This record gives sequence, C-alpha cells and structure tokens, in this order.
Amino acid sequence: MFDPRDETAPAFDHARLLDVLARADATRLAALAERLLPELGAVEVVNSRTGLVMLPMRDSVLGTDFHLGEVLVAEAHIRAGGTEGYGMVVGRDLERAMAMAVVDAAASLGQTPEIRAFLHREACELSAADTARLCEIEATRVDMETF
Amino acid sequence: MAYVATRGGERAIAQSERLYRAELGQIDAARVDTLRKTLPMLIDRVMGEASLYEPDLAALALAQAGGDLYEAVLLLRAWRTTQPRLSIAEPVLQDRLFTHRRISAAFKDIPGGQILGPSLDYAHRLLATDVLRGRPFTPAPVDPAPTPAPACQPSLAAWQKAHGLVADPAPVEVAPDDIPDLTREPLLFPAKRAHTLQSLARADTGGMLALGYSAMRGYGSAHPTVNELRLAEAEVRVRHPRGTVFSAGRVKVSQAEVTSKGKSGLLELGFCATLGWNEVKVISGATLDLNARGAAKGSPVEEEFFLYHTEPVEASGFCIHFKLPHYVTFQSSLDALRGAKAAPAPTKPEQVPA
Repeated sequence: MFDPRDETAPAFDHARLLDVLARADATRLAALAERLLPELGAVEVVNSRTGLVMLPMRDSVLGTDFHLGEVLVAEAHIRAGGTEGYGMVVGRDLERAMAMAVVDAAASLGQTPEIRAFLHREACELSAADTARLCEIEATRVDMETF
Repeated sequence: MAYVATRGGERAIAQSERLYRAELGQIDAARVDTLRKTLPMLIDRVMGEASLYEPDLAALALAQAGGDLYEAVLLLRAWRTTQPRLSIAEPVLQDRLFTHRRISAAFKDIPGGQILGPSLDYAHRLLATDVLRGRPFTPAPVDPAPTPAPACQPSLAAWQKAHGLVADPAPVEVAPDDIPDLTREPLLFPAKRAHTLQSLARADTGGMLALGYSAMRGYGSAHPTVNELRLAEAEVRVRHPRGTVFSAGRVKVSQAEVTSKGKSGLLELGFCATLGWNEVKVISGATLDLNARGAAKGSPVEEEFFLYHTEPVEASGFCIHFKLPHYVTFQSSLDALRGAKAAPAPTKPEQVPA
C-alpha cells in the first residue's frame, strides 16, 4: 500500500497526472483543491466554461478519420502563484474542472507528498474499478462449438 | 418558400402547448436522474442522433419531450449550437478502446477471442409481469472471472489486412483540424468518406434500420455478415495549454464492420460507428456503407439516398411541417381542380402515329 509519508514515491508525469485528475473522485478532488488553494495566493480565472470537444475516430476499413460527434466538457484555466493550471473533464461539472486546474497549478510548483498520495490513491481506485469491470467482461468470454 | 403566413390563433396555440405539457407534469432533477440511470440505451440512442454526448442533457431532453425521440434530438441539436467549440480531440483508434463487448459472426476464432459483454442476444424475451403485481425484478449479479479481460483489442480488419484477406489502402494522414466536418459545411455528393461516416454516426436509428434491412433482404448487392461488433469506451484525448495530451474522460462508442465476399477475390468491408451503444444502428450503417459502392441512382443503398433520408432533424421536421397551415397553396390546387371540372370536355386529341 502506498505510504503518503514516503518521500521516495515516484512523481507522476504531467500526462498521467492529468489523466488521473480528470477521472478522480469529485468530492476528494474538491477537498484537495480547497487545501491547496491558500498556497497559490490570488487566482486569475482565464476560463471557466462548458463547451464542445469534437471527437474524431479512424475508420478501420479505409483508415479515414471522421467526426463521431461532439462531447460536452467543462473547462477551467487559471493563473496563480506564477504558474498556470488547467482542467478539462467530460461532462458539465465546472467545479470539478476548476478543482483539477487548482491541483494542476499546485503540482506544477512541486508534487508534494500530499498531492502524490492523492494521485496514487485515485490511480489505484480507478485501476481497481477497471479491473473489476474487466473481470465481469471476462466472464462473458464465449467459445462456441460448431458442428 | 412560397408559403403564405397565417395570422391569429395565439390563445389556442398557447393553450395547446399547455395541454401537451400538462400531461407530462412537473419535470424535476429527480425525474431526469431516474431517466438517465434507468434508460441508458435510450439515452445513448438520443446522444448519438443528437451528435452530442452528455447523458444528463439527453435525459432532460427526453423528459421535456415526453419521450418523443425526434423532439428530444432537435432540443439537443439546438442546445448544442449555444456552446463554443473548444477543441478537436485526438482521433479514437480501435486498439485503444476500453472494450466491453467484441464479437464476430464471420470468424469463430478471432484473435483476442469472442467477448459477449453486456447483451440480451441469447436471452429469453419474457415480460416480467410480476413487477406489476408488486414483486420487483432483481437481476442476478455477474460471477466475475478471476482474471480480467484485456482492455484493448485491435480491430478485426487490422488482422485481416495483415493476412491479405481485405484490401489495405494506405491511410491518408489528416490533421484533426482538417477533417471534413458536417457541422461546418454542407453534405455534397459524391460525399467525402469523412462526411458519409459522420452523417451515419448521427443518423436516425430507425431510418438506418429500414434502409439497411432493405439491403439485407436483397435490395442491395452485398449480403452482410458481422465481421466485428464492438461496444467500448473511448478516451477523449485533449491538449493542455502546455502541450501535454491527456484524457478528459471516457465516452461510450459502438462500431461495426460487416463483410461480404467481393468480386476481386478479397473480402469487402463496410464500417459504421456512433456515440453511445447502439448495435442496430451500427450494423445497419455498416451494411449501407458496404452496399454503397457502385449502387444505382435512387436505390436505397445509394449514399445520396440513404444519407439524405436518415438525417433525423431534417426528415422528421419535413414530415411534421405538413401539419402546418397550407391553406393557400392547397387552395390553388383546389382552384385548378374546380377549373378543370367546370371547363367543357376537351375535344379528342388528334391521333399521333406511333
């Protein structure tokens, strides 16, 4: 089990950090952002809005990229503490996107043990949920006999 | 348009809308929440046709439309236009989909195996009437396997290409910003493949089934077999201002490849995908795609025919507009009819030699 006091626990690279934040538990993410906010000082909100992200897909027959449709996302972009933070989450929860942006900004100044502990815990929970689902899916593997 | 406006009727129109909405009663967050949780297949269908992925809004649209799918899709397409386009995500690739279901009806032993996933394909279709007598229906839980299924699988077409069973044209690299987009440009024929597939992705499920079924019954040139059917979740991979690409979350997608033996000695494939899980739609769409090449003008499997006639907002809108007052235009038809009746019988036309 991850020990939050363990300073040697590996830091998350930026892509992995953002992946985990975007799918992290909303309540725990908001709580972490609340705790980190005072350290960032004055926050300038560049953007806090919902909007559309067009999602393309590659056709497996001719390899043509085409647009599958648009996904509603919540986006937050802030400047604080001499750095910037960005959050984008599928859905319309502006608070979740803002909490993500706050944690992104704080993490860019250094992944403190508290931030790393949070990331590890959330990554573990997400991975456990995926594994549980994949075990259910595996139960539906079928091998039909033909005559 | 040559319609002549009518005037009046404001009171009746207002009361008519009230009469409709009174039937639906108060719409609150709890109703929307229940719809979203209990009708995921319907929500998916509406999101796919609306071309807007947001389950809460789709549930709200359904609640507000009282379950009228075309009204719900129209509400969502209209709402969509109030939102800014923030970016275009990285293209979704088959081998990166988090796969819940992947089957092939053409090949038994596909690489990765056949995974039924969530499905009623082999279920008895029995109505649980006990529920109405106060005995709730509680589904049995899944007995999970000890080991997880692999999350990602390549498309079956990729395996067939590697084995020389289907043609393998070199993909054309297109920057996401340059992918043709029907929300910004009109559908013209012959359609770009990107337009065809985008149009199928947001087409009306029922319309696609009707036209796809006509091809399956023999009004097309190719009989489909499902090469691969997949239900999955795709990551929405976007860009951070510092350039890092990350996933903002997952959305449900479905896709189908259907196949038929072509004249060239290779297998031919048709493709369709959509937002949300909707198997009838993607199998029908892939069947239309498979049959479209070389289809005769005016045939149900010709792309101009099926793309124009399966656009849900245009098709339903045109259908229901016939309910609106056409008194003046119809009056001119009546006048012509009465005029013809009143006129003396025409003399027998001269016989023209054949």
